[in-house]
Amino acid sequence: MRCRSVLTRIDAMRTGELPAEEHAPLHEHLGSCPSCNESVSDVEAFAQTVRSLAAAPPRSCRDSVSGKCKDSYATVTERGETVWVVFTDRGLRMIHRGGTLDDVRERYARRHGREIVERPLPERLRKQLAAALGGEGVDNPQVDWGEEESGIERDVLKTLTRIPRGEVRTYSWVAQQAGHPGAVRAVGTICARNNVPFVVPCHRVVPATGGIGNYAFGSALKRELLRREGVDVDALDALARKGVRFIGSKTTKIVCFPTCRDARRIAEANRVPFGDAESAEKKGFRPCKRCQPFATPTSSRSRSSARPH
Amino acid sequence: MKNSWIGGEAVWRSEPAEENLAVAVHRCEAGALERLIDRYEGALYSYAYGILQNAFDAQEVVQDAMLRAHRALTRQYDEPRCAELALRPWLFRMTRNLCLNKRRSKTRALEQPLETFDDGRLGPFVRQSDDAERKEDAELLRRAMGVLPVEARELIVLRFMEEMSYADIAKTVGTTESSLRGKVFRSLKLLRDALEKKGVTHAV
Repeated sequence: MRCRSVLTRIDAMRTGELPAEEHAPLHEHLGSCPSCNESVSDVEAFAQTVRSLAAAPPRSCRDSVSGKCKDSYATVTERGETVWVVFTDRGLRMIHRGGTLDDVRERYARRHGREIVERPLPERLRKQLAAALGGEGVDNPQVDWGEEESGIERDVLKTLTRIPRGEVRTYSWVAQQAGHPGAVRAVGTICARNNVPFVVPCHRVVPATGGIGNYAFGSALKRELLRREGVDVDALDALARKGVRFIGSKTTKIVCFPTCRDARRIAEANRVPFGDAESAEKKGFRPCKRCQPFATPTSSRSRSSARPH
Repeated sequence: MKNSWIGGEAVWRSEPAEENLAVAVHRCEAGALERLIDRYEGALYSYAYGILQNAFDAQEVVQDAMLRAHRALTRQYDEPRCAELALRPWLFRMTRNLCLNKRRSKTRALEQPLETFDDGRLGPFVRQSDDAERKEDAELLRRAMGVLPVEARELIVLRFMEEMSYADIAKTVGTTESSLRGKVFRSLKLLRDALEKKGVTHAV
Protein backbone atom coordinates (compact mmCIF):
# COMPACT_ATOMS: atom_id res chain seq x y z
CA MET A 1 0.00 0.00 0.00
CA ARG A 2 1.29 3.43 -0.86
CA CYS A 3 1.44 6.30 1.59
CA ARG A 4 -0.60 8.43 -0.83
CA SER A 5 -3.69 6.33 -0.46
CA VAL A 6 -3.50 6.10 3.32
CA LEU A 7 -5.09 9.45 4.13
CA THR A 8 -8.28 8.81 2.20
CA ARG A 9 -8.51 5.38 3.78
CA ILE A 10 -8.15 6.80 7.25
CA ASP A 11 -10.84 9.28 6.41
CA ALA A 12 -13.11 6.52 5.16
CA MET A 13 -12.48 4.36 8.20
CA ARG A 14 -13.43 7.19 10.54
CA THR A 15 -16.96 7.30 9.14
CA GLY A 16 -17.30 3.56 8.72
CA GLU A 17 -17.09 3.67 4.95
CA LEU A 18 -13.95 1.58 4.54
CA PRO A 19 -14.75 -2.00 3.54
CA ALA A 20 -13.79 -4.50 6.24
CA GLU A 21 -11.25 -6.34 4.07
CA GLU A 22 -9.15 -3.17 3.75
CA HIS A 23 -8.76 -2.68 7.48
CA ALA A 24 -5.97 -5.23 7.88
CA PRO A 25 -3.67 -3.92 5.07
CA LEU A 26 -4.13 -0.40 6.39
CA HIS A 27 -3.12 -1.34 9.92
CA GLU A 28 -0.21 -3.30 8.54
CA HIS A 29 1.04 -0.26 6.66
CA LEU A 30 0.60 2.03 9.65
CA GLY A 31 2.62 -0.38 11.76
CA SER A 32 5.62 0.09 9.51
CA CYS A 33 5.35 3.73 8.40
CA PRO A 34 6.01 6.46 11.04
CA SER A 35 5.10 9.38 8.76
CA CYS A 36 1.70 7.92 7.95
CA ASN A 37 1.18 7.34 11.65
CA GLU A 38 1.77 10.99 12.21
CA SER A 39 -0.82 11.97 9.62
CA VAL A 40 -3.28 9.68 11.32
CA SER A 41 -2.87 11.42 14.63
CA ASP A 42 -3.14 14.77 12.85
CA VAL A 43 -6.44 13.81 11.28
CA GLU A 44 -7.69 12.44 14.57
CA ALA A 45 -6.67 15.57 16.43
CA PHE A 46 -8.35 17.73 13.83
CA ALA A 47 -11.58 15.72 13.96
CA GLN A 48 -11.53 15.88 17.70
CA THR A 49 -11.12 19.64 17.68
CA VAL A 50 -14.01 20.00 15.26
CA ARG A 51 -16.10 17.74 17.47
CA SER A 52 -15.27 19.91 20.46
CA LEU A 53 -17.01 22.78 18.66
CA ALA A 54 -20.28 20.89 18.96
CA ALA A 55 -22.52 22.85 21.24
CA ALA A 56 -25.73 22.08 22.98
CA PRO A 57 -28.53 24.55 22.26
CA PRO A 58 -28.91 27.15 25.01
CA ARG A 59 -32.35 25.79 25.75
CA SER A 60 -33.70 22.42 24.66
CA CYS A 61 -36.77 22.51 22.45
CA ARG A 62 -37.94 19.19 23.91
CA ASP A 63 -40.75 20.50 26.05
CA SER A 64 -42.12 23.07 23.66
CA VAL A 65 -42.07 20.65 20.72
CA SER A 66 -43.61 17.75 22.57
CA GLY A 67 -46.21 20.14 24.00
CA LYS A 68 -47.15 21.30 20.53
CA CYS A 69 -47.28 17.78 19.14
CA LYS A 70 -49.77 16.45 21.67
CA ASP A 71 -53.45 17.07 22.12
CA SER A 72 -55.40 16.92 25.35
CA TYR A 73 -57.98 14.53 26.67
CA ALA A 74 -60.37 14.45 29.59
CA THR A 75 -63.11 12.15 30.80
CA VAL A 76 -66.58 13.43 31.41
CA THR A 77 -69.42 11.68 33.20
CA GLU A 78 -72.82 12.90 32.22
CA ARG A 79 -76.06 11.08 33.01
CA GLY A 80 -74.13 8.02 34.01
CA GLU A 81 -72.30 7.85 30.69
CA THR A 82 -68.54 8.16 30.72
CA VAL A 83 -67.11 9.66 27.58
CA TRP A 84 -63.57 10.44 26.55
CA VAL A 85 -63.06 13.87 25.04
CA VAL A 86 -60.01 14.83 23.03
CA PHE A 87 -59.65 18.54 22.44
CA THR A 88 -57.28 21.24 21.28
CA ASP A 89 -57.36 24.93 21.95
CA ARG A 90 -59.53 25.28 18.86
CA GLY A 91 -62.24 23.00 20.14
CA LEU A 92 -63.44 19.41 20.37
CA ARG A 93 -61.49 16.94 18.32
CA MET A 94 -62.87 13.52 19.16
CA ILE A 95 -65.53 12.08 21.44
CA HIS A 96 -65.32 8.43 22.33
CA ARG A 97 -67.80 6.47 24.37
CA GLY A 98 -66.79 3.41 26.32
CA GLY A 99 -63.51 1.53 26.07
CA THR A 100 -60.27 2.16 27.85
CA LEU A 101 -57.72 4.95 27.63
CA ASP A 102 -55.59 2.74 25.42
CA ASP A 103 -58.48 2.34 22.97
CA VAL A 104 -58.81 6.10 22.79
CA ARG A 105 -55.06 6.60 22.36
CA GLU A 106 -54.94 3.98 19.67
CA ARG A 107 -57.91 5.34 17.77
CA TYR A 108 -56.69 8.91 18.00
CA ALA A 109 -53.18 7.98 16.87
CA ARG A 110 -54.58 6.06 13.92
CA ARG A 111 -56.86 8.85 12.85
CA HIS A 112 -54.92 11.97 13.67
CA GLY A 113 -51.39 10.70 14.25
CA ARG A 114 -50.94 12.44 17.55
CA GLU A 115 -50.41 11.50 21.16
CA ILE A 116 -52.78 12.66 23.88
CA VAL A 117 -52.11 13.83 27.42
CA GLU A 118 -54.61 14.47 30.20
CA ARG A 119 -55.50 18.09 30.76
CA PRO A 120 -58.56 19.72 32.32
CA LEU A 121 -61.45 20.26 29.93
CA PRO A 122 -62.24 23.96 29.43
CA GLU A 123 -65.58 24.99 30.86
CA ARG A 124 -67.13 26.05 27.55
CA LEU A 125 -66.41 22.64 26.01
CA ARG A 126 -67.71 20.84 29.10
CA LYS A 127 -70.96 22.79 28.83
CA GLN A 128 -71.36 21.93 25.17
CA LEU A 129 -70.84 18.28 25.86
CA ALA A 130 -73.30 18.28 28.75
CA ALA A 131 -75.88 20.01 26.56
CA ALA A 132 -75.34 17.50 23.75
CA LEU A 133 -75.67 14.47 26.00
CA GLY A 134 -78.51 15.92 28.02
CA GLY A 135 -80.68 16.60 24.99
CA GLU A 136 -80.57 20.39 25.08
CA GLY A 137 -78.60 20.36 21.86
CA VAL A 138 -75.69 22.56 20.85
CA ASP A 139 -76.39 25.39 18.45
CA ASN A 140 -72.87 26.35 17.58
CA PRO A 141 -70.57 23.48 18.46
CA GLN A 142 -66.94 24.35 18.94
CA VAL A 143 -65.21 21.69 16.92
CA ASP A 144 -61.64 21.55 15.72
CA TRP A 145 -62.37 20.16 12.29
CA GLY A 146 -58.71 19.51 11.64
CA GLU A 147 -57.38 18.97 8.17
CA GLU A 148 -57.97 15.31 7.55
CA GLU A 149 -61.57 15.53 6.46
CA SER A 150 -62.11 15.73 2.76
CA GLY A 151 -64.42 18.36 1.32
CA ILE A 152 -67.48 16.16 1.33
CA GLU A 153 -66.88 15.05 4.92
CA ARG A 154 -66.74 18.57 6.11
CA ASP A 155 -69.80 19.57 4.05
CA VAL A 156 -71.80 16.71 5.53
CA LEU A 157 -70.70 17.30 9.11
CA LYS A 158 -71.50 20.99 8.85
CA THR A 159 -74.91 20.15 7.40
CA LEU A 160 -75.60 17.89 10.37
CA THR A 161 -75.19 20.81 12.74
CA ARG A 162 -78.09 22.52 10.93
CA ILE A 163 -80.61 19.82 11.82
CA PRO A 164 -82.59 21.38 14.66
CA ARG A 165 -82.86 19.73 18.02
CA GLY A 166 -85.99 17.63 18.34
CA GLU A 167 -86.17 16.89 14.62
CA VAL A 168 -84.79 14.24 12.32
CA ARG A 169 -83.78 14.24 8.66
CA THR A 170 -83.09 11.54 6.14
CA TYR A 171 -79.73 10.56 4.71
CA SER A 172 -80.77 11.72 1.26
CA TRP A 173 -81.82 15.08 2.67
CA VAL A 174 -78.38 15.55 4.22
CA ALA A 175 -76.70 14.56 0.96
CA GLN A 176 -78.83 17.07 -0.93
CA GLN A 177 -78.29 19.90 1.54
CA ALA A 178 -74.56 19.27 1.71
CA GLY A 179 -74.37 19.78 -2.03
CA HIS A 180 -73.63 16.16 -2.89
CA PRO A 181 -77.07 14.78 -3.86
CA GLY A 182 -75.68 11.51 -5.17
CA ALA A 183 -73.68 10.69 -2.09
CA VAL A 184 -76.44 9.23 0.08
CA ARG A 185 -74.48 6.15 1.09
CA ALA A 186 -71.42 8.29 1.74
CA VAL A 187 -73.46 10.34 4.22
CA GLY A 188 -74.11 7.12 6.15
CA THR A 189 -70.41 6.33 6.20
CA ILE A 190 -69.47 9.82 7.28
CA CYS A 191 -72.03 9.74 10.09
CA ALA A 192 -70.66 6.40 11.22
CA ARG A 193 -67.14 7.77 11.47
CA ASN A 194 -68.16 11.10 12.93
CA ASN A 195 -65.35 12.14 15.28
CA VAL A 196 -67.56 14.20 17.53
CA PRO A 197 -70.85 12.34 17.95
CA PHE A 198 -73.50 13.87 20.22
CA VAL A 199 -72.13 17.36 19.62
CA VAL A 200 -72.35 17.08 15.84
CA PRO A 201 -75.74 15.39 15.80
CA CYS A 202 -75.35 12.42 13.52
CA HIS A 203 -78.04 10.74 15.61
CA ARG A 204 -80.60 13.05 14.00
CA VAL A 205 -80.28 11.30 10.64
CA VAL A 206 -82.67 8.43 9.91
CA PRO A 207 -83.47 6.25 6.88
CA ALA A 208 -85.97 7.62 4.38
CA THR A 209 -87.93 4.38 4.65
CA GLY A 210 -88.79 5.16 8.24
CA GLY A 211 -87.65 3.89 11.57
CA ILE A 212 -84.65 5.06 13.54
CA GLY A 213 -81.86 3.26 11.72
CA ASN A 214 -78.39 2.37 12.91
CA TYR A 215 -76.03 4.20 15.18
CA ALA A 216 -72.36 3.87 15.96
CA PHE A 217 -73.23 3.22 19.61
CA GLY A 218 -76.31 1.09 18.91
CA SER A 219 -79.80 2.17 17.91
CA ALA A 220 -81.02 1.96 21.52
CA LEU A 221 -78.81 4.91 22.42
CA LYS A 222 -79.91 6.72 19.27
CA ARG A 223 -83.56 6.40 20.35
CA GLU A 224 -82.66 7.52 23.85
CA LEU A 225 -80.78 10.59 22.60
CA LEU A 226 -83.64 11.56 20.29
CA ARG A 227 -86.16 11.07 23.08
CA ARG A 228 -84.12 13.37 25.32
CA GLU A 229 -84.24 15.99 22.61
CA GLY A 230 -88.03 15.75 22.43
CA VAL A 231 -88.55 13.53 19.41
CA ASP A 232 -91.55 11.19 19.74
CA VAL A 233 -89.69 8.11 18.66
CA ASP A 234 -92.62 5.73 19.01
CA ALA A 235 -94.85 7.96 16.88
CA LEU A 236 -92.14 7.93 14.20
CA ASP A 237 -92.14 4.15 14.28
CA ALA A 238 -95.90 4.10 13.95
CA LEU A 239 -95.79 6.42 10.93
CA ALA A 240 -93.07 4.31 9.34
CA ARG A 241 -95.21 1.18 9.73
CA LYS A 242 -98.04 2.94 7.87
CA GLY A 243 -95.64 4.07 5.16
CA VAL A 244 -96.07 7.75 5.97
CA ARG A 245 -93.04 9.88 5.18
CA PHE A 246 -94.47 13.39 5.04
CA ILE A 247 -97.26 15.25 6.82
CA GLY A 248 -99.21 18.01 5.13
CA SER A 249 -101.66 20.60 6.40
CA LYS A 250 -105.08 20.91 4.81
CA THR A 251 -105.27 24.61 5.64
CA THR A 252 -101.90 25.79 4.33
CA LYS A 253 -101.36 23.08 1.68
CA ILE A 254 -97.79 22.76 2.88
CA VAL A 255 -96.06 19.44 3.38
CA CYS A 256 -93.31 18.76 5.94
CA PHE A 257 -91.18 16.07 7.49
CA PRO A 258 -93.19 14.62 10.39
CA THR A 259 -90.76 15.98 12.96
CA CYS A 260 -90.58 19.50 11.50
CA ARG A 261 -91.63 21.99 14.15
CA ASP A 262 -94.27 23.32 11.74
CA ALA A 263 -95.70 19.84 11.13
CA ARG A 264 -95.92 19.10 14.83
CA ARG A 265 -98.30 21.99 15.44
CA ILE A 266 -100.80 21.06 12.72
CA ALA A 267 -104.15 20.31 14.34
CA GLU A 268 -105.05 16.64 14.34
CA ALA A 269 -108.03 17.19 12.05
CA ASN A 270 -105.95 18.98 9.41
CA ARG A 271 -103.10 16.49 9.15
CA VAL A 272 -102.74 14.77 5.77
CA PRO A 273 -100.24 11.90 5.55
CA PHE A 274 -98.23 11.29 2.36
CA GLY A 275 -96.07 8.36 1.38
CA ASP A 276 -94.09 10.18 -1.31
CA ALA A 277 -93.44 13.57 -2.82
CA GLU A 278 -95.41 13.04 -6.04
CA SER A 279 -98.74 12.30 -4.39
CA ALA A 280 -98.38 15.44 -2.27
CA GLU A 281 -97.56 17.64 -5.24
CA LYS A 282 -100.39 16.10 -7.24
CA LYS A 283 -102.80 17.29 -4.57
CA GLY A 284 -101.40 20.79 -4.77
CA PHE A 285 -99.20 20.71 -1.70
CA ARG A 286 -95.86 22.48 -1.68
CA PRO A 287 -92.84 21.56 0.43
CA CYS A 288 -92.13 23.42 3.64
CA LYS A 289 -89.41 26.01 3.29
CA ARG A 290 -88.07 25.34 6.71
CA CYS A 291 -87.51 21.59 6.60
CA GLN A 292 -87.34 21.32 2.79
CA PRO A 293 -88.67 17.76 2.81
CA PHE A 294 -88.32 16.87 -0.88
CA ALA A 295 -84.70 16.14 -1.37
CA THR A 296 -85.17 16.22 -5.13
CA PRO A 297 -85.23 19.02 -7.71
CA THR A 298 -89.07 19.02 -7.60
CA SER A 299 -88.92 21.09 -4.44
CA SER A 300 -87.77 24.17 -6.37
CA ARG A 301 -90.76 24.16 -8.73
CA SER A 302 -93.25 25.76 -6.37
CA ARG A 303 -90.88 28.30 -4.90
CA SER A 304 -92.30 31.35 -6.72
CA SER A 305 -95.90 30.86 -5.65
CA ALA A 306 -95.15 29.87 -2.10
CA ARG A 307 -95.79 31.90 0.98
CA PRO A 308 -93.49 31.47 3.94
CA HIS A 309 -94.77 29.33 6.73
CA MET B 1 -43.76 16.19 1.53
CA LYS B 2 -42.55 15.60 -1.99
CA ASN B 3 -38.84 15.32 -2.29
CA SER B 4 -38.81 16.64 -5.80
CA TRP B 5 -35.34 18.09 -5.39
CA ILE B 6 -33.78 14.71 -5.24
CA GLY B 7 -36.13 12.63 -7.26
CA GLY B 8 -38.65 11.04 -4.96
CA GLU B 9 -38.76 8.71 -2.04
CA ALA B 10 -36.50 5.93 -3.26
CA VAL B 11 -33.48 7.97 -2.32
CA TRP B 12 -33.89 7.80 1.44
CA ARG B 13 -32.82 4.27 2.22
CA SER B 14 -31.78 3.66 5.76
CA GLU B 15 -29.42 1.40 7.60
CA PRO B 16 -31.84 -0.87 9.46
CA ALA B 17 -29.74 -1.83 12.49
CA GLU B 18 -30.96 0.60 15.14
CA GLU B 19 -34.40 1.07 16.66
CA ASN B 20 -36.54 2.58 14.01
CA LEU B 21 -37.41 5.88 15.59
CA ALA B 22 -39.26 7.07 12.53
CA VAL B 23 -41.73 4.20 12.81
CA ALA B 24 -42.06 4.67 16.57
CA VAL B 25 -42.94 8.32 16.05
CA HIS B 26 -45.31 7.40 13.25
CA ARG B 27 -47.13 5.02 15.59
CA CYS B 28 -47.26 7.69 18.31
CA GLU B 29 -45.51 5.39 20.75
CA ALA B 30 -45.19 7.00 24.15
CA GLY B 31 -41.94 8.87 24.49
CA ALA B 32 -40.86 8.29 20.89
CA LEU B 33 -40.93 11.96 20.00
CA GLU B 34 -38.86 12.81 23.08
CA ARG B 35 -36.33 10.13 22.16
CA LEU B 36 -36.08 11.59 18.68
CA ILE B 37 -35.49 15.05 20.05
CA ASP B 38 -32.94 13.92 22.65
CA ARG B 39 -31.03 12.01 20.06
CA TYR B 40 -30.80 14.56 17.28
CA GLU B 41 -31.34 17.97 18.80
CA GLY B 42 -27.70 18.57 19.71
CA ALA B 43 -26.32 17.44 16.36
CA LEU B 44 -28.87 19.43 14.38
CA TYR B 45 -28.19 22.47 16.50
CA SER B 46 -24.45 22.28 15.90
CA TYR B 47 -25.11 21.90 12.20
CA ALA B 48 -27.54 24.80 12.11
CA TYR B 49 -25.10 26.88 14.10
CA GLY B 50 -22.40 25.96 11.61
CA ILE B 51 -24.52 27.40 8.83
CA LEU B 52 -26.12 30.36 10.56
CA GLN B 53 -23.43 31.30 13.10
CA ASN B 54 -26.15 32.54 15.38
CA ALA B 55 -27.37 30.70 18.46
CA PHE B 56 -30.85 32.16 18.50
CA ASP B 57 -31.61 31.44 14.85
CA ALA B 58 -30.08 27.98 15.10
CA GLN B 59 -32.29 27.11 18.02
CA GLU B 60 -35.38 28.36 16.26
CA VAL B 61 -34.54 26.36 13.17
CA VAL B 62 -34.03 23.16 15.15
CA GLN B 63 -37.37 23.54 16.88
CA ASP B 64 -39.07 24.16 13.57
CA ALA B 65 -37.35 21.15 12.05
CA MET B 66 -38.54 18.93 14.89
CA LEU B 67 -42.12 20.12 14.51
CA ARG B 68 -42.01 19.50 10.78
CA ALA B 69 -40.43 16.12 11.23
CA HIS B 70 -43.17 15.09 13.65
CA ARG B 71 -45.84 16.32 11.31
CA ALA B 72 -44.38 14.58 8.31
CA LEU B 73 -43.84 11.30 10.11
CA THR B 74 -47.28 11.18 11.67
CA ARG B 75 -49.52 12.76 9.08
CA GLN B 76 -47.87 12.61 5.72
CA TYR B 77 -45.78 9.47 5.54
CA ASP B 78 -47.30 6.01 5.79
CA GLU B 79 -45.65 3.30 7.79
CA PRO B 80 -43.62 1.60 5.00
CA ARG B 81 -42.24 4.95 4.01
CA CYS B 82 -41.24 5.71 7.59
CA ALA B 83 -39.67 2.28 7.87
CA GLU B 84 -37.34 2.86 4.95
CA LEU B 85 -36.61 6.47 5.70
CA ALA B 86 -32.97 7.32 6.36
CA LEU B 87 -33.82 9.42 9.34
CA ARG B 88 -30.51 11.14 9.98
CA PRO B 89 -29.82 12.61 6.53
CA TRP B 90 -33.53 13.42 6.24
CA LEU B 91 -33.47 15.45 9.45
CA PHE B 92 -30.24 17.16 8.46
CA ARG B 93 -31.64 17.98 5.07
CA MET B 94 -34.76 19.48 6.60
CA THR B 95 -32.66 21.53 9.01
CA ARG B 96 -30.47 22.65 6.16
CA ASN B 97 -33.42 23.84 4.08
CA LEU B 98 -34.79 25.79 7.02
CA CYS B 99 -31.38 27.32 7.65
CA LEU B 100 -31.05 28.42 4.05
CA ASN B 101 -34.57 29.88 4.14
CA LYS B 102 -33.64 31.76 7.26
CA ARG B 103 -30.48 33.13 5.68
CA ARG B 104 -32.39 34.15 2.61
CA SER B 105 -35.04 35.95 4.63
CA LYS B 106 -32.33 37.82 6.44
CA THR B 107 -30.71 39.29 3.35
CA ARG B 108 -29.63 42.28 5.32
CA ALA B 109 -27.71 40.12 7.71
CA LEU B 110 -26.25 37.83 5.08
CA GLU B 111 -22.73 36.75 5.95
CA GLN B 112 -23.39 38.69 9.07
CA PRO B 113 -21.25 38.11 12.13
CA LEU B 114 -18.09 37.29 10.25
CA GLU B 115 -15.94 37.32 13.29
CA THR B 116 -12.65 38.80 12.33
CA PHE B 117 -9.86 36.36 12.64
CA ASP B 118 -7.33 38.60 14.21
CA ASP B 119 -6.23 36.96 17.36
CA GLY B 120 -2.70 38.16 18.04
CA ARG B 121 -1.08 35.25 19.82
CA LEU B 122 -1.28 31.91 18.10
CA GLY B 123 0.27 28.72 19.30
CA PRO B 124 0.72 25.38 17.62
CA PHE B 125 -2.59 24.03 16.59
CA VAL B 126 -2.54 20.30 17.05
CA ARG B 127 -0.75 17.51 18.89
CA GLN B 128 -1.64 18.83 22.25
CA SER B 129 -2.94 16.66 24.98
CA ASP B 130 -3.34 19.49 27.41
CA ASP B 131 -6.97 20.40 27.95
CA ALA B 132 -6.50 24.14 28.11
CA GLU B 133 -4.60 24.18 24.84
CA ARG B 134 -7.23 21.99 23.26
CA LYS B 135 -9.77 24.66 24.17
CA GLU B 136 -7.57 27.27 22.62
CA ASP B 137 -7.38 25.24 19.44
CA ALA B 138 -11.12 24.98 19.41
CA GLU B 139 -11.49 28.71 19.79
CA LEU B 140 -9.08 29.33 16.91
CA LEU B 141 -10.89 26.83 14.76
CA ARG B 142 -14.23 28.36 15.63
CA ARG B 143 -13.03 31.73 14.44
CA ALA B 144 -11.46 30.29 11.33
CA MET B 145 -14.76 28.57 10.54
CA GLY B 146 -16.50 31.91 10.88
CA VAL B 147 -14.67 33.34 7.88
CA LEU B 148 -15.31 30.31 5.64
CA PRO B 149 -18.13 30.30 3.11
CA VAL B 150 -21.29 28.60 4.31
CA GLU B 151 -20.85 25.62 2.06
CA ALA B 152 -17.40 24.87 3.44
CA ARG B 153 -18.58 25.29 7.01
CA GLU B 154 -21.46 22.91 6.65
CA LEU B 155 -19.37 20.24 4.93
CA ILE B 156 -16.73 20.35 7.63
CA VAL B 157 -19.41 20.03 10.30
CA LEU B 158 -21.07 17.10 8.57
CA ARG B 159 -17.88 15.26 7.75
CA PHE B 160 -15.83 15.86 10.87
CA MET B 161 -18.30 16.66 13.63
CA GLU B 162 -21.11 14.31 12.61
CA GLU B 163 -18.75 11.86 10.92
CA MET B 164 -21.33 11.27 8.23
CA SER B 165 -20.56 9.04 5.29
CA TYR B 166 -20.22 10.68 1.89
CA ALA B 167 -23.43 8.94 0.85
CA ASP B 168 -25.39 10.53 3.68
CA ILE B 169 -23.84 13.96 3.17
CA ALA B 170 -24.75 13.74 -0.50
CA LYS B 171 -28.37 13.13 0.50
CA THR B 172 -28.27 15.96 2.98
CA VAL B 173 -26.88 18.65 0.73
CA GLY B 174 -28.31 17.24 -2.48
CA THR B 175 -25.34 16.44 -4.63
CA THR B 176 -23.40 13.42 -5.83
CA GLU B 177 -20.76 11.61 -3.85
CA SER B 178 -18.00 12.23 -6.36
CA SER B 179 -18.50 15.98 -6.53
CA LEU B 180 -18.79 15.96 -2.77
CA ARG B 181 -15.30 14.51 -2.27
CA GLY B 182 -13.84 17.43 -4.17
CA LYS B 183 -15.94 19.91 -2.24
CA VAL B 184 -14.89 18.53 1.11
CA PHE B 185 -11.27 18.64 -0.01
CA ARG B 186 -11.58 22.27 -1.10
CA SER B 187 -13.36 23.18 2.13
CA LEU B 188 -10.49 21.77 4.12
CA LYS B 189 -8.06 23.71 1.94
CA LEU B 190 -9.96 26.92 2.65
CA LEU B 191 -9.87 26.17 6.34
CA ARG B 192 -6.17 25.44 6.18
CA ASP B 193 -5.58 28.71 4.36
CA ALA B 194 -7.58 30.59 6.94
CA LEU B 195 -5.54 29.06 9.70
CA GLU B 196 -2.25 29.53 7.92
CA LYS B 197 -2.88 33.21 7.47
CA LYS B 198 -2.14 33.43 11.13
CA GLY B 199 0.82 31.16 10.93
CA VAL B 200 -0.88 28.02 12.08
CA THR B 201 0.30 25.03 10.14
CA HIS B 202 -1.74 21.98 10.54
CA ALA B 203 -2.51 18.86 8.59
CA VAL B 204 -6.17 19.01 7.77
